[in-house]
Amino acid sequence: MNEELDSQLSAMFDDELPSAECELLARRLSRDGELKARWGRYAVLGAAIRAERGVRLNAALAGRVSALLITEPALATPTVARASPVRWWQPVAAVSLAAGVAALSILWLRTQSPGAPLSARADRPAPSQGVNTGVRSSSSPYIYTVPQAPAARPVVVPSTELANYVVAHSMFSSQVERHNLLSAFMTSEPGTAAGAEEPESDAKIIAH
Amino acid sequence: MSADASDLSLVRRVQRGDKGAFDALVLKYQHKLVKLVMRYVRNPAEAEDIAQEAFIKAYRALPQFRGDSAFYTWLYRIAINTAKNALVSRDRSPIDYDLDRHQGDESYDMQSRMKDSETPEGLVLTDEIRSTVNAAIDALPEDLRTAIVLRELEGLSYEEIAGAMDCPVGTVRSRIFRAREAIDQRLREVFEGGLGRAEEIG
Repeated sequence: MNEELDSQLSAMFDDELPSAECELLARRLSRDGELKARWGRYAVLGAAIRAERGVRLNAALAGRVSALLITEPALATPTVARASPVRWWQPVAAVSLAAGVAALSILWLRTQSPGAPLSARADRPAPSQGVNTGVRSSSSPYIYTVPQAPAARPVVVPSTELANYVVAHSMFSSQVERHNLLSAFMTSEPGTAAGAEEPESDAKIIAH
Repeated sequence: MSADASDLSLVRRVQRGDKGAFDALVLKYQHKLVKLVMRYVRNPAEAEDIAQEAFIKAYRALPQFRGDSAFYTWLYRIAINTAKNALVSRDRSPIDYDLDRHQGDESYDMQSRMKDSETPEGLVLTDEIRSTVNAAIDALPEDLRTAIVLRELEGLSYEEIAGAMDCPVGTVRSRIFRAREAIDQRLREVFEGGLGRAEEIG
């Protein structure tokens, strides 16, 4: 037998072998009958040196235990053994939950859209432009308010800072660049506040 | 290197379903466990039965062993509980049996040991093994003998032995291995045919 292997076995018996080597040797020890017999004799000679009275060195205890373990089921790691199987209702519940969340999301989105039914928007505050068609009693507020049709597409008003930047950029950019769509729009827009206000001051800032 | 790494590597294998690794643990600790149980029951055969039961209990409980304590400490507790339960179930009280009382006691002769239900063949073989091991140790060179005795009799670690013998740890490991090999050579003769009826030890 390999002398290095035997040396490792001796050190492992004494708990003096590094863990990584123990792992490898333990695997071999559990399968190699000759190595296991040597391991058993190491235990016997240790007991003989200690002169343990009353202990039978020829005892076949290990053989008896090994024979009894044949009928025992092989162990599995606790985590594997305790892992609960997937129940039939778990995927059903997961799908139901997902469907419920999706339905609620759709309902919420519909209540937020302008064309949503009145019933869905009944709890929203009445717009200021609403027309009162109901009869107001002295003690009750308006009971029904018809909102006006949705207004035309909202006007996109660029922020003052962006407008100032675009104007200043148009003033100092080349002729070709000045005719890009946005610059042309901003500079040609009559009455645009951004185009009329403080072009010089912004220009100074950009120039710096 | 961690203490108990050897046992832990075997334990992990058993936990993964490798029964062969448990054999190695039984081989290593069977004598120590029987000696422990002998503090509760005087009969060696009964002590072996209890030790056997303790090993089976340990095997079944091994999935719960997490390595918080040394394996032998854990096994030791199982064996003590098994021995106490055996005594209770037999409606007996523990025998105050101090093993050390017999150290060097000449009166602890063959006749008194026969009362312990030991078979003559078993006694002869055990004596044969002991005398073989002692003869092998006497034949060892001084450095090998010192190393193996410090390890097996005094229970010193390799580092402690290296300090005592003023040599590197690697040398200690080599000396202990060579001492074991020399003794094992003689032991094999006993087990494999010295008495013609040696029981299997593994």
